[in-house]
Amino acid sequence: MCPKNNNKFTGYDFIKESAGIEEYVLVENSLRVLVLEDHSAPVATFMVTYHVGSRNEAIGYTGSTHLLEHLMFKGSRNFNKDKNTAIWTELQNIGAQINATTWNDRTNYFEVVPSEHLERAIAIEADRMRHAFLKDEDRQPEMTVVRNEFERGENSPFDVLDKNIWATAYQAHPYHHSTIGWRSDIENVSTERLKNFYDTYYWPNNATVTVIGDFNKKEALASINKYFSEHSKSKEPIPPVYTDEPEQEGPRRIMVKRTGQTGIVGIAHKTPKGLHEDTYALQVLSKILADGKTSRLNKLIIDKGLATSIFMYDFPFLDNGLFITYAFLTPGIDHKEVEKIIINEYNNITESGVSKEEVERAQAQIRATVAFSRDGTYAVASALNEAIAIGDWTFYTNFMDNISNVTEEKIKEVVKKYFTEDQSTTGWFIAKEPKV
Amino acid sequence: MGTFSDQVIINEEIKGVKTYVMPTGVKDVVTISGSMLGGSIHCAGKNSKVSSLVASMLDKGTEKKNKYEISDMLESVGAELNFSSTRYHTHFTGFCLKNNLETVVSLLAEQLTTPRFSTEELSTLQGRISGNLIRDKENTKKLAMIQFLRTLFPRNHPNYQATIDESVESVKKASVKDLFAFHKEHYGLGSIKIAAAGDVKAEALNGLLLEAMKDWKNKKTNIPKITEKAIKPKKGSQTIKVQDKTSADLYIGQSIGINREHKDYYPLMLGVYILGGNFSARLMQTVRDKQGLTYGIGSSISGVSFGADGYWSTWGTFSPDILKKGVGATKDQINLWFDKGVTEEELSAKKTTINGSYKVSMDSTSGLTSKILSNAEQGRDLLYLDEYPKIIDAISLSEVNTAIKNHVDPEKLYMVSAGTL
Repeated sequence: MCPKNNNKFTGYDFIKESAGIEEYVLVENSLRVLVLEDHSAPVATFMVTYHVGSRNEAIGYTGSTHLLEHLMFKGSRNFNKDKNTAIWTELQNIGAQINATTWNDRTNYFEVVPSEHLERAIAIEADRMRHAFLKDEDRQPEMTVVRNEFERGENSPFDVLDKNIWATAYQAHPYHHSTIGWRSDIENVSTERLKNFYDTYYWPNNATVTVIGDFNKKEALASINKYFSEHSKSKEPIPPVYTDEPEQEGPRRIMVKRTGQTGIVGIAHKTPKGLHEDTYALQVLSKILADGKTSRLNKLIIDKGLATSIFMYDFPFLDNGLFITYAFLTPGIDHKEVEKIIINEYNNITESGVSKEEVERAQAQIRATVAFSRDGTYAVASALNEAIAIGDWTFYTNFMDNISNVTEEKIKEVVKKYFTEDQSTTGWFIAKEPKV
Repeated sequence: MGTFSDQVIINEEIKGVKTYVMPTGVKDVVTISGSMLGGSIHCAGKNSKVSSLVASMLDKGTEKKNKYEISDMLESVGAELNFSSTRYHTHFTGFCLKNNLETVVSLLAEQLTTPRFSTEELSTLQGRISGNLIRDKENTKKLAMIQFLRTLFPRNHPNYQATIDESVESVKKASVKDLFAFHKEHYGLGSIKIAAAGDVKAEALNGLLLEAMKDWKNKKTNIPKITEKAIKPKKGSQTIKVQDKTSADLYIGQSIGINREHKDYYPLMLGVYILGGNFSARLMQTVRDKQGLTYGIGSSISGVSFGADGYWSTWGTFSPDILKKGVGATKDQINLWFDKGVTEEELSAKKTTINGSYKVSMDSTSGLTSKILSNAEQGRDLLYLDEYPKIIDAISLSEVNTAIKNHVDPEKLYMVSAGTL
């Protein structure tokens, strides 16, 4: 489908349009560009999503994608401390919100800028795409920064339990390790290995640029062309991840015992790839189980004083993922009791399904969430970023239509299909009494 | 770019309620943020947790509806209504699609005016809140911060913090009778401020509010005059030992003896921003970026609103085995900042940052309502939001460096660290 307005821009092939967002490809190097003009506020968000995440790592260099993300702020050819144009300074001094994040399937760098400064963000991202310094003298102090980030995570019983559940559920596939990586890998990975990683994955043909907000499309596309077209495509094809997780043949359990105050229960089940049609039913199921006071687990667990909160981990990923129900127990409550309630509820749905009212309520909740995901340029770019990561940005624009098609029968079917005991991994965080 | 004054429609048709409506280009969604006086400071001499328990009980049932009926009305249209209480205010926030604004406003009014406060619900809530508080005993940041503030301020000062055990005890001993009494005394017309932004028309929202609030009674809640002053700065340190923690939290700072109405407030705020306000500030550029000692470190001024004299604090995290080195590096930066002051170049850069941040904060309806409401709560005219960049621009280098000298004393820093130390 063609957009109503002109979509012919020098240097670009127009690919498609969905919900006002237009996709172009820079002919020179296959950089994919998503554009949405929105003049609600004098702000623009510029984001580069690289199709590389912790799933592209292996033993010995877990956490490399994230460590590399940190090093990407240490300077590049045109933006560095020697030239008094350091990236943070250049952007924060104009009031921009700037950061980067790494997750299983992607790494993204973004700037929310007053719209008159959009070109500066474009120039910086283009420069560091292929001209980042990545010096060993920068890796040394940054390694300890990242190690402290790891240590902060380890302070949290939830983070520790979550890492253990993934590591138990996934044995072969790289979702086995968390994005932050293992401590010894963070400490010992070489600068050379990181450079190699950068030279393998940081190319225009392995990235998607998103620009949302208050700008002129023609000028923004021209600017992206100007700065990014200096880069060629990668000389080698981007290596695919070919490791499949072998089929799980029985329930798995993990316990983490540490000094703490209260327990946590986490029950995980393997889910399909994010773009699989069952994803939408699982999203609706998540709302029915634990979103809002009328949700099933809220009534059965929170209202009975058995837990202080419930958290559903239901994020779609590029590869098969996990649907995890976490319950943060009230002091003195037995893990077994809460685990049994959660499993019973899964079984109830397997046998009796869910009601039409429950599905409609969940769909209404998601409809509002989707509408709020358009509230602000960063909100749109952020939601698009996750859709790009799982392999199709229109996952975001078509999401509500697909959610609207979910039926009671479909939910019963996916619970029966995925929530089997043999596909489960259950984790307990057990709070030990402090040593006197 | 339009100014706030140009774009926000103010209405005071209902006596004791001031509304600020800012229609934006976003489609379908509306964010409403509001508040009224009635926070923990209004519990003085009584149970300080009652105000927050009242707010938390507002969604647990009204005289006419039980909690599930309320939730069902909201969840069936994907709307949200949240209530909370801070030191001075009770806050309410609503998110909804524009077609559901009427439902949200009428529920908001019903929940605020006719709460049920059932004994059974209170008991369950007390268990939940206590559980969350007890979980904080393993939160090294929270533990360090509480102890830091307990050292800087006396018990009756607004910035003083109760211990976790004291908070748990207060939560547990509150009764339904306490909740009704607080509600009766403070919930009503008089100090209500409501900011709304998004796909919303001022006339429509004001009409709904007028209908919903027509029978409300006026309440005479005011912010009590703050007479208690901070304890004079003194050098010292404390260590809180928490087992099995891989990262330690550190607070360093002192009381500053001024509130945000003081002439030195903005110059000092700018000076502190240059020290540790963002990633390009001195602390992150040195202690993190150059020396690699921490994932995060920052510095700010807090607790200066409504006449209270506030404090300056620097917070950071460190691996326990390099905490000492981290403290040294942090103090080096503080000393350098105090001794040499900030430069014209740094000040100029931070002024540009603040001007740009002003625009960026307009990116979402929640950002807008938060800014408008916070300004209104301070009793300021809307024009202040437009004038703010100019106020900042007018501050001179000597004002900043003088304010640092006047209100900071590196010889009297107090330090609290928490972790496996």
